[in-house]
Amino acid sequence: MIKRIKVGTASCGIAAGADEVYDYLSKNVTDHDVVEVGCIGHCYAEPLVEVETEDRSYFFENVEPTEEDLKNILDVGEEKRLTFRKERKDKELLKVSRLAGRIVPTSLQEYKENGGYQALEKALEMDPDNVVEEVKNSGLRGRGGGGFPTGIKWGLLAAKEDETKILICNADEGDPGAFMDKSLMECVPHQVMEGMLIAAHATGASEVFIYVRAEYPRAIEHLTTAIDQIIENKINVLNGKEIGIQVKEGAGAFVCGEETAMIHSLEGKRGMPRFRPPYPTDDGYKGHPTVINNVESYANVPVIISEGADEYSKVGTEGSKGTKLFALAGDLEYTGIVEVPMGITIGEIVYDIGGAEKGSVKAVQIGGPSGGCIPAKHFDTPVDYDSLNSLGAIMGSGGLIVIGNNRCMVETARYFLDFTARESCGKCTFCRVGNMRLLETLERITKGNGTQADIDLLEDLGPKIVDGSLCGLGQTAPNPVLSTLRFFKDEYKAHVEDKVCPALVCNDLVEIEIDHDTCIECMACVKTCPVDAISDDIEVDVDTCTRCNSCIEVCPVDAISRIPLRGE
Amino acid sequence: MSNIKLKIDEQEYSAEQGQTILEVAEDNGIEIPTMCHNGRISQTTSCFVCVVKNKETGQFMPSCSTRVDDGMEIEVESDDVFEMRQSALNLLLSEHIGDCEAPCTIACPAHAQVEEYIREGKNGNFTKALEIIKRKIPLPMSIGRVCPRFCEQDCRRNVVDEGQPVAINDFKRLAADKEFDNYLEDLPELQDSKVAVVGGGPAGISAAYYLRREGIRSDIYEKMPKAGGMLQYGIPKFRLPKHFVDKEIQHFDKMGGVDIFTNQELGKDIQLEQLKKDYDAVVLAVGSWKPGSMYAEGEELADGGIKWLENVARNDFSAENPGKTIVVGGGNTAMDCVRTAVRLGSDEVYCYYRRTEKQMPAEQIEIDEAKEEGVQFKFLSQPTKVRKENGQLIVTFKKMELGEKDASGRRRPIPIEGSEYDVKADTVIAAIGQKTIAPEGSKTNKWGDIEINEENGYMADNVFAAGDCVTGPATVVEAVAAGRNAALGIEAFLRGEEYEKPYEINVSRGHWQSLSKDDLVYLKELTDRKREKLEYIPLEKRKNSFEEITHTFTEEAIAREGERCLECSCTDKHDCKLKDYSEQYLAGPEAITGEKRVYEADTRHPDIIIDRNKCIKCGTCVKVCKEVVNESLLDFRERGFDTNITTAFGEQLPLSCADCGECIKECPVGALDWRNKERAR
Amino acid sequence: MPVATYLKEIDKDSSNLIKALQTVQKHEGFISDENLKELAEYFSMPPVEVEGVVSFYAQFKRSKPGQFIISVCDGTACHIKGSDLVKNWITEETGIESGETDDEGVFSVETVACLGCCSLAPVMAVNGKVHGNLSRKKVQKTLRQYREEAHND
Repeated sequence: MIKRIKVGTASCGIAAGADEVYDYLSKNVTDHDVVEVGCIGHCYAEPLVEVETEDRSYFFENVEPTEEDLKNILDVGEEKRLTFRKERKDKELLKVSRLAGRIVPTSLQEYKENGGYQALEKALEMDPDNVVEEVKNSGLRGRGGGGFPTGIKWGLLAAKEDETKILICNADEGDPGAFMDKSLMECVPHQVMEGMLIAAHATGASEVFIYVRAEYPRAIEHLTTAIDQIIENKINVLNGKEIGIQVKEGAGAFVCGEETAMIHSLEGKRGMPRFRPPYPTDDGYKGHPTVINNVESYANVPVIISEGADEYSKVGTEGSKGTKLFALAGDLEYTGIVEVPMGITIGEIVYDIGGAEKGSVKAVQIGGPSGGCIPAKHFDTPVDYDSLNSLGAIMGSGGLIVIGNNRCMVETARYFLDFTARESCGKCTFCRVGNMRLLETLERITKGNGTQADIDLLEDLGPKIVDGSLCGLGQTAPNPVLSTLRFFKDEYKAHVEDKVCPALVCNDLVEIEIDHDTCIECMACVKTCPVDAISDDIEVDVDTCTRCNSCIEVCPVDAISRIPLRGE
Repeated sequence: MSNIKLKIDEQEYSAEQGQTILEVAEDNGIEIPTMCHNGRISQTTSCFVCVVKNKETGQFMPSCSTRVDDGMEIEVESDDVFEMRQSALNLLLSEHIGDCEAPCTIACPAHAQVEEYIREGKNGNFTKALEIIKRKIPLPMSIGRVCPRFCEQDCRRNVVDEGQPVAINDFKRLAADKEFDNYLEDLPELQDSKVAVVGGGPAGISAAYYLRREGIRSDIYEKMPKAGGMLQYGIPKFRLPKHFVDKEIQHFDKMGGVDIFTNQELGKDIQLEQLKKDYDAVVLAVGSWKPGSMYAEGEELADGGIKWLENVARNDFSAENPGKTIVVGGGNTAMDCVRTAVRLGSDEVYCYYRRTEKQMPAEQIEIDEAKEEGVQFKFLSQPTKVRKENGQLIVTFKKMELGEKDASGRRRPIPIEGSEYDVKADTVIAAIGQKTIAPEGSKTNKWGDIEINEENGYMADNVFAAGDCVTGPATVVEAVAAGRNAALGIEAFLRGEEYEKPYEINVSRGHWQSLSKDDLVYLKELTDRKREKLEYIPLEKRKNSFEEITHTFTEEAIAREGERCLECSCTDKHDCKLKDYSEQYLAGPEAITGEKRVYEADTRHPDIIIDRNKCIKCGTCVKVCKEVVNESLLDFRERGFDTNITTAFGEQLPLSCADCGECIKECPVGALDWRNKERAR
Repeated sequence: MPVATYLKEIDKDSSNLIKALQTVQKHEGFISDENLKELAEYFSMPPVEVEGVVSFYAQFKRSKPGQFIISVCDGTACHIKGSDLVKNWITEETGIESGETDDEGVFSVETVACLGCCSLAPVMAVNGKVHGNLSRKKVQKTLRQYREEAHND
């Protein structure tokens, strides 16, 4: 007996067409409730529909707004049934994201029915110092990248006797390739808010801000709704003290993920970091003591308070406790969001959970533009803050991009540098000019104009940018270059010495070849070429060709391929 | 306030809690460079030039912002710190657009301060102009007449009026002509040490002159009856009247401390070994006088160009009419020969050159003037034989054609087989360069020139060398530059040190040929005045006498010409932290290169220039305006590499800013400055 | 319209500047010089400072954008899945490149860091609506629909 039908309409779902599916279902299903929920993390299967019956749930993947799919769903048929692979189920540990995609995000009632706000209630009965103690004991470290122990930060704020104390939720998830925070805000906004309210109680904060990227409209919408509900139900009145809550939208500046920059941005200024000390706990938003934690950190708090620090810290490794959310993307089968215990190996995430084929993966890029590449040979590395650091990568916020054998590592490094160079605030000399010079050098190399001196420059300048920048952006910007140089120097050498891109990615070192033995002369390539580089007798003009791959895509017999550029 | 102890470069210091490392260093006389720190405004921490290293953690820290801790150990002067600072400066230079020094000064072998003496000359301050000129050019009357004007070839005025650079050399000539008689430089007391200068030509005179300016005596030994070298015996007097040369040599009498002994030839009248013993140091400046070979059979029948000129000069320019004259060669000496032959009465003077006019090494103006005076040019001809038949000289020439480029970048002349032809002549002069006869006991290179350390002119023992005998035949201005360099070398040598040319950087917008009018910055309104023309004596007079062929510019003409100078050098060149620190840390604009953001310099304000191309984005001006002056007229724009500082909507600064100027005072570079260079300084 | 009409809810504390700018841009599509001066006055700030803030953040536009703003995602996942190609396809279809607005004022194209839909890479958003798993055909089809919509208005 169907209880209700849930359509995952987090932004990943919508991008895959979940809106149309939801509209179609709500119009055509009259007997049951059709509701919008968030994302269960299996983004590869979007649009995803869950049919909830009395005793269990059934999931349907890649649903289309068609009569056929509708019938199948209502019949709880076998078609398009999503199977949860054992390899993944065994490795995952859903704690923080337990409710994501299972409840209606904007329903306070549903959140409460599933145990929501019980941790807050429990915390309010505790002495604030004990709450801080509990978080300290849990071993929770900042999930935003730095890995600073959350409880210690809270303790510093709690010790301040100022009337106005500020808590900020860093929801400016700027790493390209990371979307865990977005998912938490879209799917369980109340859980994030509960964590913040517990923190407010523990630290004595009087005001909380959530600084969200403007690119996350749905997250903003859900948070705003949740806050309205909280205020309406006076959930923000903690033992008689009312806590001010505001959502502030970022305006498109990656550097605002840096705490002093974020504070400046909240103050309405240019988001430029400043030298620390003074730390925000001494001199933060408008001079008030301030603590900033990331979305995922706050979302962990209700879990810690509910189950207790002892139980919580049973999961994980010595220095890294609890679970971690990762956003899996790139060259693998099952993209999406996973929650795993700290200490799991990269290989387990990539191969078992992500379903990537062994041997097809060259590396993972972890930690986004601030992180580094970890080559496949190091995939037995456990995922914890310290192991990753030792390989020149960082935990970062949790973006994990799988890089297949067919990708160029130099080009990947160039891509990240292009991002950070554009996002530098422009303050520190090394970051402002140095990253631009690194980027230009990488461009020279990918265009086949590089020399050994360029590699030397990268190796000389990179570490200096790390040493000579005020904030995390500059201090980590060269990481993608330095880590690829460390593990994939042969690729750099090939570009520089042989003028060859081994992965055949760098357009300036590649040309398009048509195998005339295979070619059936269908002329599809000739017609599709946007720059008319293929003649009527099906020859490619190397000078006109932009290597856009359009011809390769349309060729029905795979007769066209990229090959190393032939010399004159 | 607690007293804490810390170590800076192993040395222990005490400091107050809360002080920054930079403050502690300043209190203790330890110099740390910084571009963005400024005590009048809140802390910025952006340039990272002030980094120091925490010895314990190995971390680099901006000393302007990092507060001291008890027990801290800091490296301020280690190699690592040096390299970090150097890289920071290299990066700042890599996005810096401007001209530290004007291209004319850079082009001048003596690095004379052209823009400065032009400004003084334009304003009628000729004594000041002469003082500036003589810092680098000891013979301005002579050089003001004969210099090939490297400066003018690179003059940016060419962008506005191609082919009409500022008439720079004429400023020297007028300043010297006007003020030389009354001028005497401030001179230090003479010391005991004494130097022997062998050769009284431009290099030797320059060495003696700058030694005297350092308080060092010298004796000049000259093998000819008069000092002056090429100025006296090489360059004919219609280009350089000899009373000017005499006057410039006689200036030593006024200065004192320099004695000239003529008719003293090295190896004959004086010996190097003895000079080395008798003097604290010796300068060899014997020039390059041996005529080069034509590689033609019978060439001994021809006169050597330089020797021929010398004979004419020794005879006070009153030699016999040479008759039909053939001069072989395309350099300035060849031009001097043909034009001297004209003046001696010959009405048939030919210049034969084996390439074409375009490849002639002589200055174009000399060629043009020679043509005006009736000299005929024969190109692509090379002599193969000189013979005398019945008292008649006959030269056999072979025709040439131009082939591939050679090492000098000029197209190589190739003989055309069977193209020989004969020409009769009364006088044949081979003016094809000179060679050095290096004195016995000197070190020489493969061309037979003396080999020295180029930093300081040092050869060996206590001997230095300078001028043509080091470089081979070159220009007067190169010789005086070398002479000055040797003088500086000796000055250090006598103190037991080794002189090195100071490391200087020069950021440049580039050569005028690569620039357009919009690329230039105009500190003052651009005049459309064309180059003043030199006034010549009548052509007939030129052909029949050795009278100087041009008149010195009038003061009015110089004032007009001075208006044409674009004052290319940076307004802040004397006070630029980026330049000073870059030189201190051996950073340079070529070390790291890449794209630069180009902005139009804002010269709308009558007194102030904003040139964002030079900005280092420290924001000092923004803060000074806001925090010190209580205005907010400037702020950052954009971010990252595009960061720049400008006014609201890019509007012009208010006129009242001219009464404040605090931002200008604090700008560490020349991004904000007074348009008037005297005020800027 | 004077911007103050949009700002009634917004306190005159300068910390609200970014929020005010976002509000103005939502209504006007961009921040004009006039708006900027009014905002400076509203918050009693020097205009040069407001300009400094506006130009710092990628979100703010200083000229009128097209009716549909195409945001090409150049996040990591999209990049390795060919966001460069997506840009080419969009240029083929609209004739404009990132940072430009077409002459008819229908489309503006911008490149954004990450839309957070990495699993569906490559993606683009049009006026905030995300379109994933792009191919050349899909880009063509999607943009043609928007163009039609524009013509129908």
